[in-house]
Amino acid sequence: MIGEYSVRDLSVHYGGVCAVKSISFTVAEGQSIGVIGANGAGKSSTLRALMGLVPRSSGTVTFDGKDMSGVPARNMVRHRIGYVPEGRHVFGGLPVEKNLLLGAYARKWNAETRASLEEVYALFPVLGEMSDRLAGALSGGQQQMLSIGRALMAGPRLLLLDEPSMGLSPKLVDDILAALQKLRDQGLSLLLVEQNAKLTFEATSECLVMENGEVAMTGTSEELRKDLRVRKIYLGL
Amino acid sequence: MTFRSRRTLRLGSLAAAGVLLYALPYGLGSYAIHVVDVAIIFALLAMGLGLVMGIAGQVNLAQIAFFGVGAYATALFTTQAGFGFWVSAVLAMLAAVVAGLVVGFPALRVQSHYLGIVTLGLALAFLNWIINTPMAGGADGISGIPVPPLGAVDLRDEYLYYYLEIVAFLMALGFGLFVVRTPLGRRMKAMRDDPLAAGAIGAEIPNLRMTAFVLASLYGGLAGVLYAGLIRYVAPESFSIANMFLLLAMVIVGGRQSLWGCVVGAVGLSLIREWLVDFSTYAQLGYGLVVVLMVVFAPTGLAGVPVRVAERIDRRRSADRAVLRPFRPYEPLDGAEHAGPEVVGLEVVGISKHFRGVKALSEVAFTVEAGAIHGVVGPNGSGKTTLFNVISGLYKATAGQVVMDGRRITDARPYRLSQAGIARTFQNLRLFGALTVRDNVLVALDRTRTRFIWRYALWPVGVWRYDRELRHRADALLDRFGLADYAGATPGALPYGIQRRIEIARAMACAPRLLLLDEPAAGLNGEEVRQLSEIVRSIRDSGVTVIVIEHNMGFVMSLCARVTVLSGGRVIADGTPAEVVATPAVIEAYLGDESMSDAPLDLPTEVK
Amino acid sequence: MQVFLQTLVGGLSLGAIYALVAMGFSLVYRTMGLVNFAHGNVVMIGAYVASTFYLTVKLPFVPAMVIALVITAGIGLVIERVLRPLENKDFDLMLIGTIGFGIVLEALATLIWGATGRAVRNPVQTAPLDVLGVRIRTYDLVVLGVTALAMVLLVLFLQRTKRGAAMQAVAMDHEAATAVGIHVGRSNAIAFSIGAGLAALAGGLAGPLLYVSPTMGGSLGIKGFAAAILGGFGSIPGAIVGGLGIGVLDSYSAGHFEGYSDLVTFLVFTAAIMIRPTGIFGERTVNRA
Repeated sequence: MIGEYSVRDLSVHYGGVCAVKSISFTVAEGQSIGVIGANGAGKSSTLRALMGLVPRSSGTVTFDGKDMSGVPARNMVRHRIGYVPEGRHVFGGLPVEKNLLLGAYARKWNAETRASLEEVYALFPVLGEMSDRLAGALSGGQQQMLSIGRALMAGPRLLLLDEPSMGLSPKLVDDILAALQKLRDQGLSLLLVEQNAKLTFEATSECLVMENGEVAMTGTSEELRKDLRVRKIYLGL
Repeated sequence: MTFRSRRTLRLGSLAAAGVLLYALPYGLGSYAIHVVDVAIIFALLAMGLGLVMGIAGQVNLAQIAFFGVGAYATALFTTQAGFGFWVSAVLAMLAAVVAGLVVGFPALRVQSHYLGIVTLGLALAFLNWIINTPMAGGADGISGIPVPPLGAVDLRDEYLYYYLEIVAFLMALGFGLFVVRTPLGRRMKAMRDDPLAAGAIGAEIPNLRMTAFVLASLYGGLAGVLYAGLIRYVAPESFSIANMFLLLAMVIVGGRQSLWGCVVGAVGLSLIREWLVDFSTYAQLGYGLVVVLMVVFAPTGLAGVPVRVAERIDRRRSADRAVLRPFRPYEPLDGAEHAGPEVVGLEVVGISKHFRGVKALSEVAFTVEAGAIHGVVGPNGSGKTTLFNVISGLYKATAGQVVMDGRRITDARPYRLSQAGIARTFQNLRLFGALTVRDNVLVALDRTRTRFIWRYALWPVGVWRYDRELRHRADALLDRFGLADYAGATPGALPYGIQRRIEIARAMACAPRLLLLDEPAAGLNGEEVRQLSEIVRSIRDSGVTVIVIEHNMGFVMSLCARVTVLSGGRVIADGTPAEVVATPAVIEAYLGDESMSDAPLDLPTEVK
Repeated sequence: MQVFLQTLVGGLSLGAIYALVAMGFSLVYRTMGLVNFAHGNVVMIGAYVASTFYLTVKLPFVPAMVIALVITAGIGLVIERVLRPLENKDFDLMLIGTIGFGIVLEALATLIWGATGRAVRNPVQTAPLDVLGVRIRTYDLVVLGVTALAMVLLVLFLQRTKRGAAMQAVAMDHEAATAVGIHVGRSNAIAFSIGAGLAALAGGLAGPLLYVSPTMGGSLGIKGFAAAILGGFGSIPGAIVGGLGIGVLDSYSAGHFEGYSDLVTFLVFTAAIMIRPTGIFGERTVNRA
């Protein structure tokens, strides 16, 4: 299928512990899917395994009909898969604009890059204001925007986001949500891994709820929002 | 193999080695014995370097200068000051120790490559001094050092000198092995593997670093004295940087973490160097290449090879036999004693912690009741671990204070807090990777201070007895935690759940009054979490106050008397688990949605 | 006063050499988070290759330097490739590995060129300038000029080019660098060869100032490293300031303490590190995973 990102029976083991047990899902072109669950449920491991940053023990991943199993992490961006790592991971010693330009590392730096840069500044005006500030000196929320902006610079068709709300105040979470909704409306496919269920329900159409490395529930975001079991999984009741 | 036959074998091989060492000179010509005499001196030097670098993890490129100080001081005291050889030897050893203190001093401020360049610079400074000072004879050096007098024994004879060296060498080796296998050596190894964790269990890192350098200088000084007595002539070229690197090669090739390895490397390379004396440049090329290949392919050196082989065999065998046994609970304190002086509470008063403007914690305040289990929960990045790091002294708070038992403990060094009775585990496991499980626990059991080290010089038997007692206690503790089968294994290869338990055992070995557990249930399966609850309860019942950070809410809810919830570095709720989960702010922090908090909830299971 | 200035001028030209060496150390550290203890010996190889092509093959000085640059860059690639398995794993072990390479290079140089060493003819044969009674050799000015040029080019490379930015990104966060599509291994290899090229530049220029011998790498390497740390490890302007500082310190201590200059230089250096471990410009923070 065109633009479809499909994951089948993905498992991940860390030093003898099974972090992810045989999960499957599909992100259709332009669709946004959420993966929610408490800390340590295996959400981050899933994403890192999809990026090729940790080895998969089993499972197949295809994007646009192509097998992604042998693709090293550094080439994901060339297949137009963008990644926003957990904890932001900006290049702290480099200015904001350099961070963004590095996002377009796999492309030629030309007028098109310039245009992407302007798009990112339009999405996150604060980055434009601080373009020559060192990334390490930004606040947590600004760094998160930078991290998303950096991933957008490569012109991805699918964006993998790992806990963009981590450690942010509710106001900033709302800003991130607004940006994600805008990206979704532009037709970008999203795979959003989050602890913050509210953000996820509003940014996505369907969700997986993970618990102990397994998919505990699936459904549309609307259904899950009303389901009390989600809250129990979260609060360990 | 039975214990007895193993012991017989060991005694037998020691006896054989003794006979061999005794008989060796009879089979050697006069030049060969000279070569052997020099090789033994290098072995002493290499042991010193192994102790400071391999055991204590301090990059020291000035070992050759300790050697030089020992040799030159002997030469100067005998020829210039007219002291006798043995008096000069003692003074020379003292001079070497002073050099050790000088070279070790920068280690208090800098580590790793910085320490490498500073020690190398100081070695060059020493070389520069002996080349230039008229007193030391410049490039010609000092000749005319007297023969060490020893009763009727004429030490001019290099065969007899060999026996003197062998006695010194065996004593040095024995002492070195004794240090490595007793509390001091274990602490140094712990510091090497993880200085942070070592500090958190009470190792006084600065003193320990200085001790390592002093030990290295003692070996260097002894080698220098013996060298001066053997050659009876000293010149700068013996103490060049090229020789420093040769020494380094010996230690790397032999295996820096093993004294036997250092000895083998030193003797081996000395002999090879002698054998290739006419092709010295090729020899240099060769040992340079060997160093490169060794660090890439065999970082533990020759000494590591048998260990690696044995480990591989052992792992295969022990994998089917070793079992994690059930935890045996502690004796609970009686109700009357429950609030006794031993049991402490903790008060966190307005703690803030900022990192370059980022507010990780803002005015966090809560009280931990004496003898209770207190939970700290919150979403990722809410500042839980930062809070632990402040309480355990790894971070300095920007504002506020922590009060334990009525005493303000804010900003104390981690080892002081450990001595005051605070122990902790780490979120990402900080076990000492190259130490066995037993040694991990032994390091924590040893509650002595730095001054204990004097006993190594004054009363080694006392050290030995103390060590034996520690080992008994370690075995009892491992047995209690069901870890007896893993005592001899290194933690890295063990399953995650077992490593978690080892970390708790290590923390309990510190005999704490307050135990901080950072995500102890992370990565554990359901049954393991249940066992963990049991362990933590028993620890609480024995009179230890426990604070636990967890994201496994079920675990927290069933275990804790009170829970503090952090979000964005602030306390958003504090109370019993039932109160806390009913707080809208908590539900919002976790789910991001306040509206969901209106629906009715089942209350959590009763807290025991 | 005249003596003072004359000493300063002498110190600056030697300091420029130290600065070039320090820049190589800092570049490799900033882009890879690695300290290359073989760097001094690469400088020595550069000096030998340049002087061989200049004196023996009788090429002009500049082409001889270019050949030296290419050869040392190749050596840099080899060192990086061999030690790559240790990258981001064991820092101290890598450090010892580079010491091993230093020993190998010194032995190779002795085998190829002999142990005695050689003097290199000054390529700029013009009369020294006389400024306020201070004699300034034209070659000293050349050395200072080349150093300044190298610094400018290096700073421009790091700040203006894609590759330069990518190299720094790798050192700051190699996982995030991977995610944006940077080939971390290749980036490191290029960084290492540029560092080695800088070493050749330093060695080639040092030839006519110092005596070229297999052991020259030791002292140039140690002083250059000290300069890098003094200026703030990883900082390019820091390397320049540190290099000139060590050069001038050396020059004055040679004037005042004669033979004891090394002793004084290293004691002052040790004291400086104890007081301010991060150097004048502060260490460029490198996040090593």
